[in-house]
Amino acid sequence: MPTPAIESVNLTKSYGGRPIVRDLSFQVNPGEVYALVGPNGAGKTTVIRLVSGLAFPTSGHVRLLGQDPHQHPAVRRSLGAVVEAPAAFYPFLTGRSNLRLHADLAGGVEEGRIDELLELMELSHAAERKVGVYSLGMRQRLGVAAAMLTRPTVLILDEPASGMDPLSLHLVHSVLQQAAQDGTAVLLSTHHLDEVVAYCTRVAIMEEGALIDEVNLFDRRERFRVHVTHPAQAKALLETAPFVRHVAVRGEDVVFIPASPEAIGRVSVLLAQSEIGVLEMSRDIFDLRAYYRDRVSAERARRTGSFHTARPDGTLPGVGRERDEAGGQP
Amino acid sequence: MSTLLRMEFGKLFRLASVRFGLVLLVLFPLLWAYAPGIFEVYGFFLVSGFQVPALSLLSSMQFLLPLLVSITAAELLGVELAHGTLPTVLLRPVTRPQWLSAKLIVVAIYPFLVMAVFLLASLLAGTPYGFGDFVGGTGLGESGLLGTGVMTAGEAFGELLLAYAVAALALVPIGMLAVLFSVLFMNAAGGALATLSTLIFMQLLVVFPSVEPYLLTTQLNAYSSPVASLAWVLALILVYSALFAASAVVLFERKDF
Repeated sequence: MPTPAIESVNLTKSYGGRPIVRDLSFQVNPGEVYALVGPNGAGKTTVIRLVSGLAFPTSGHVRLLGQDPHQHPAVRRSLGAVVEAPAAFYPFLTGRSNLRLHADLAGGVEEGRIDELLELMELSHAAERKVGVYSLGMRQRLGVAAAMLTRPTVLILDEPASGMDPLSLHLVHSVLQQAAQDGTAVLLSTHHLDEVVAYCTRVAIMEEGALIDEVNLFDRRERFRVHVTHPAQAKALLETAPFVRHVAVRGEDVVFIPASPEAIGRVSVLLAQSEIGVLEMSRDIFDLRAYYRDRVSAERARRTGSFHTARPDGTLPGVGRERDEAGGQP
Repeated sequence: MSTLLRMEFGKLFRLASVRFGLVLLVLFPLLWAYAPGIFEVYGFFLVSGFQVPALSLLSSMQFLLPLLVSITAAELLGVELAHGTLPTVLLRPVTRPQWLSAKLIVVAIYPFLVMAVFLLASLLAGTPYGFGDFVGGTGLGESGLLGTGVMTAGEAFGELLLAYAVAALALVPIGMLAVLFSVLFMNAAGGALATLSTLIFMQLLVVFPSVEPYLLTTQLNAYSSPVASLAWVLALILVYSALFAASAVVLFERKDF
């Protein structure tokens, strides 16, 4: 099994006896984008700082490319990170000088890399301006540029797109998506659920320092929803089809994962041949925002023992809304 | 390390405390050189340009110079905290001891820079009195400003150089202490304030004669009246500096950011 790019095992951090991060375990593999989401104060920034080696765990451990970043600082040569929001730079230096300084600290970068990144992050026009006069969005983009200077294999970013306009937001998420496609492991904390759902591999939902759910969005993006006249029969039929990997019923719909893109048409034909009416078929867009809201609310209710009562099937009101009746991974 | 040192020196000259301090050190000797009431207040006349640097040093070593050094040393770390750049730098493949050591080296060199500027400015301010041989003393020797006869220009300059060098050395542990307190409190103002409070407290400890020779504040007078041999004073200054610097590194190594 390949070594995970980032590995957190039973990570716990307490300040003054108060736990901020509780028993957190997760892995991020090369090419994956792993997002930490959660309310303010959930512990996301602390996790980012623990994983990047800026803070020390109270218990548990962190590995970057299989090594402890505290004991092996050299592993940070493979790390690019932005741990401040907005990204922190020396305000009396220009954007280019700040990147040059980072390059020097990292042991140097290849000729032209700084210009390349300034252009990528649409900062070429401001390269010779002092960072002190940069807007919030420009500083954030410069932060991403600094993180990517050394072509890192691990990127860790704390709210990389906070305070950005929609165009900059799109740019940063596109750059991160491309980095992941190039094999970089990306860990980020964010509140931009609508943006990350488009390209994140997995999303960890945090509340009160604990990981309360991990959603695999890779599977989610492959899902299709078909609105049929006889859902139960459709489900039974599709379960026997070799070109369908997963089937579940959700209300009047059947949700399935096709084994290949060609299988989508074959599902439609199969249902029609069996005289099951296909009223509508579309990609099953996962509403992460709603799911997140429900999970956090349910967790809070569970913790405080408040008014939410469980349904007969054990699920909490709201939580099951996005879950397939087949259960399993949401 | 050379990259880190280049960075730190670059930052040093951008600090407000350094710019203000250097301007102050240039202006300060003019007080002595052009003070119209110096005889009425202190009962002496200046007879040589070499006496201006001595008087400048005598009147600033107990408070002004320790203040400037401790504030700058604290600000060198504080500016990183204020800009939020400390974690950003620590994410690079630079160890924490390396990074803080670069700052400590700059803090150790800074007093020499301060004293060089101060000496130069004082000599310039003393120009109207001339730099030839003169009857009297620089004010730094045992016989004070009256001296024991004719003092040659070479003797006077040598006395000044030695005094300024010893004074610069005595300021080094104060800078180290300011870094230590800044690391402890993660705050520049707190670091400088704690350092000055410690110095004031140490000055009160002279009521314990057995402790006095070992006090950091006692060494601030070593440039003119060392309590023991100069070698002993230098050794004590080195021990203090090493102790404060090592403590700062150890503390910094385990800090959460």
